[in-house]
Amino acid sequence: MSKPSDLVQGTLDLLLLKILTLEPLNGFAISIRLKQVSGDVLQVSDGSLYPALHKLEQEGWIKAEWRPSENNRRAKFYSLTRMGRRHLEREADNWNRLSAAISHVIKLEEA
Amino acid sequence: MRFEQWIYSIPLRIRSLFRRDTVEHELDDELQFHLEQKTQHYVASGLSVEDARRKALRDIDGLELRKEECRDARRVNRFEDLIQDLRFSIRTLRKAPGFTAAAVLTLALGIGANAAIFSVVNAVLFRGLPYPNSEQLFTLPSNQSLPDLEDIQKQTSSFAAIGGINTQALDFTGQGEPVQISGGLCNAELFDALGIHPVLGRAFSPAEDSYGGPALVVLSHGFWMRYFGGDAAIIGKSIRLSGNSYTVIGVLPREFWLPGRPKDVLVSLRVFNPSAAKERGVHFLHTYFRLKPDVSFAQASAEMGNADQWLALHYPEENTARDFADIHRRLLSLQDSIFGDVRPELLVLSASVGLVLLIACVNFASLQLARCATRQREIAIRAALGAPSGRLIRQMLTESVLLSLFGGAAGLVLAALGVRLLMTLTPADLPRIANTSIDTAVLGFTFAVSLLTGIVFGLVPALNATLFGVSAKLKEDARTTAGGASGHRLRKFLVVSEIALALVLLISAGLMIRSFALLHRIDPGFRADNLLTMRLELPEARYREQTKQRQFHRELLDGLNSIPGVQAALVSEIPMSGDYLTHNFVIEGRPRLPAGSEPEVQTRTVAGDYFRLMGIPLLAGRDFGPQDRTGGQHVALVNRAFVAQYFPGQDAVGARVDWARSDPPDWMTIVGVVGDIKHFGPSEPEEPAVYDLYSQTAQKWKRWMYPTIRGAASPGALLAQVKERLWAIDNQLPVTQVFTMNAIVASSLDHQRFNLTLLGIFAAVALALAVVGIYGVMSYSITQRTNEIGIRVALGAQHSNILWLILGQGLRLALVGGTLGIVASFALTRYMSHLLFGISPRDPQTFVAIPFVLLSVALLACYIPARRAMRVDPIVALRYE
Repeated sequence: MSKPSDLVQGTLDLLLLKILTLEPLNGFAISIRLKQVSGDVLQVSDGSLYPALHKLEQEGWIKAEWRPSENNRRAKFYSLTRMGRRHLEREADNWNRLSAAISHVIKLEEA
Repeated sequence: MRFEQWIYSIPLRIRSLFRRDTVEHELDDELQFHLEQKTQHYVASGLSVEDARRKALRDIDGLELRKEECRDARRVNRFEDLIQDLRFSIRTLRKAPGFTAAAVLTLALGIGANAAIFSVVNAVLFRGLPYPNSEQLFTLPSNQSLPDLEDIQKQTSSFAAIGGINTQALDFTGQGEPVQISGGLCNAELFDALGIHPVLGRAFSPAEDSYGGPALVVLSHGFWMRYFGGDAAIIGKSIRLSGNSYTVIGVLPREFWLPGRPKDVLVSLRVFNPSAAKERGVHFLHTYFRLKPDVSFAQASAEMGNADQWLALHYPEENTARDFADIHRRLLSLQDSIFGDVRPELLVLSASVGLVLLIACVNFASLQLARCATRQREIAIRAALGAPSGRLIRQMLTESVLLSLFGGAAGLVLAALGVRLLMTLTPADLPRIANTSIDTAVLGFTFAVSLLTGIVFGLVPALNATLFGVSAKLKEDARTTAGGASGHRLRKFLVVSEIALALVLLISAGLMIRSFALLHRIDPGFRADNLLTMRLELPEARYREQTKQRQFHRELLDGLNSIPGVQAALVSEIPMSGDYLTHNFVIEGRPRLPAGSEPEVQTRTVAGDYFRLMGIPLLAGRDFGPQDRTGGQHVALVNRAFVAQYFPGQDAVGARVDWARSDPPDWMTIVGVVGDIKHFGPSEPEEPAVYDLYSQTAQKWKRWMYPTIRGAASPGALLAQVKERLWAIDNQLPVTQVFTMNAIVASSLDHQRFNLTLLGIFAAVALALAVVGIYGVMSYSITQRTNEIGIRVALGAQHSNILWLILGQGLRLALVGGTLGIVASFALTRYMSHLLFGISPRDPQTFVAIPFVLLSVALLACYIPARRAMRVDPIVALRYE
């Protein structure tokens, strides 16, 4: 099982939801976008992307729809649901609080 | 949040389950699309098509594994596994029809019997009384008079409403043949107390329920359907009841029910019988007290005690018996007063039927163990191929639950039949029994029991098969694997417990049989053969004067006795019918007791040659004779119990007795003593009784009678002749409660017969199951020991040695089980002592005979496989090796 071990649990969900706030995307496009936005810092294998997407879909945070891609091939496009948007806001807040707290602690140690 | 989530997830799950192919296809498409795009992506960056594709695949890192992870995300795997397990179970069960049939049948017996008994318990105890908030309803164990009830109402503030009702036979004419119906004489508050409202029309109001109020009647649903076909236009019409006209104002709901005889109509007591209603000394009303919602029972009970005290103080004449300290006169919850007596009886039945289920379950587990043993290799191979043991256990549990659900379904069919059988057996006085049906509660109970049975008794064999040394099984040789020593030990344990449980049931049934036989042998004190009885009641409107009543008695007796081969007499209360009447009485020359505290005796009034006809022996003095006429010296007969109680060691003949407070005094001379009869049923002792004569009694209200007619003709033919004579005298008189005396005597044992039959059936089923269990274990053990037996025979063992070897093994199991069973019975049978008559719940004869029977049957069950063992050919057995 190759989980994105370098990612904090739940962070991948957060990233995926964030990416989907702008526009509906298919899985491949998401993988490209993921690389672009995170640079090479966050390594997400293509393999772990799809189970994560399916999980988010089952939770009701994103929904899927089949439609033609740019090159006119039918592809599965994911978009954010209302509930997903709320979840993202909540998780983003949590993340901010957590990272702020952690940076704070780390700075303390340095001092 | 949760709810919103369901909107998304539920359709998705349903889709994943039922459009599995589509969903799978989409998953393929999605990943394929990704691969193509990725390949193009790499091609664009300069790789060859082939390399690009390989690199794209590597990025996915195990396509099939990823697919499986995506499937996991759907969260329906468990369900899919279950369906797979079910399919597999059905397939394997179909391949073993013998095992499946045995298991389903065993469970069907156990579950069916339980469902049947549960439906009775449910109807009688659980479904409760058909009144709203029936836990707020209370009653007084002793009957009350209407004036007392009114005073209790005034003296207390705990009760929202106090209802009182007395049941009385009414003549209903104007619909063809005159019929006797049962009328409830009640007050208007009864409706509020019970919380019952007519489904049609209305009940009478407190204003209408007054002396000289309008003659109104409320019909029961059954009466309305029977005589008016459920016609709603009946409201406002009049019907004739006992000679008077009553306007129908309402119809009660179908569920309306009160303890005692069913009521056909309800009328106001004050309107129907003002003189009895005003009489404070006539304590004849069943009472129903509805507590106010915020009042506690303790408060109400205390108030009731004060009211009792108040009544005793202000009306000492009529209320001397009101002893507020007497627990039997205290306020009692209606449920306890109705179900208190039958609860322990039903508990015994429930417990015994529970034992039957337990035995069936043990057999079921044992069957599964045996089957597991033959499946060891299959299980071991599956485990070796990578099936996790949790998955194997789940598969075996699925199989077991599937079987138990089938068993439950078959049991439900048995229960439906069983309930019908029960309804023909049940004693009429089991309250609410007529409500028995297979309803949702019974269905739920059956389902729960089946499920639980499947899980609990499937778990043992499943664990045994998988956890204990699966890996070793493969290495073992096919023949020896069939054993599974732990499995066999477990089966022996199961058989022992089965025998013990069966013995408990057999001993209980044995005790019931013994006490029933004792009851049957009891001499009722009269001859019941060829005796026909029926009830007549002379309507007050036409028979108010005693001269008319006496003329009727004479003409009826003359008419009946003139039928060739027929003798007839009249009595006011026939034995074992449940009817009785008591009076306080005084003995001449004894110190006068305070009014109301005089002793009570059973009072029976006769006409004709009653004692000779009934075969009740005359013990002293003389019988009634033609010299005892109206206007002559008033005479009475007493029974042996009366003499024993009031004239111990003395001669009662010649003494004079009178009813307490009779005005003017009406002294009766005791002219003779007759034998005791079992008036209250074979198990009840006779009470002191005084017999007087219809021709001499001053009680002109005693207008009812039971003609008792002895004739050799068939009851049907006799009845036709009787009716002909009767209606020649008065063609308006309804004939009710026509029974042969034998039928009355038989029905007095209904309760015992009911309990006996059920316990007997349970015990028989238990015995059968136990025998099957021991047979199964023994024949299995012999198959396993074929080799050993072969060696023994080869070394010179005789047939008898082999036989005893096997029988000894079976005997050990039976003895251990039997001993445990005796110990358990010893501890348990005392809970059924109230069902027994004449023997102790630890009756030594039963405790010796029944285990002996069980032991013999168990040995027989061992003998059949043992004979097979004797025929083992050593050459064949050894070649097996």
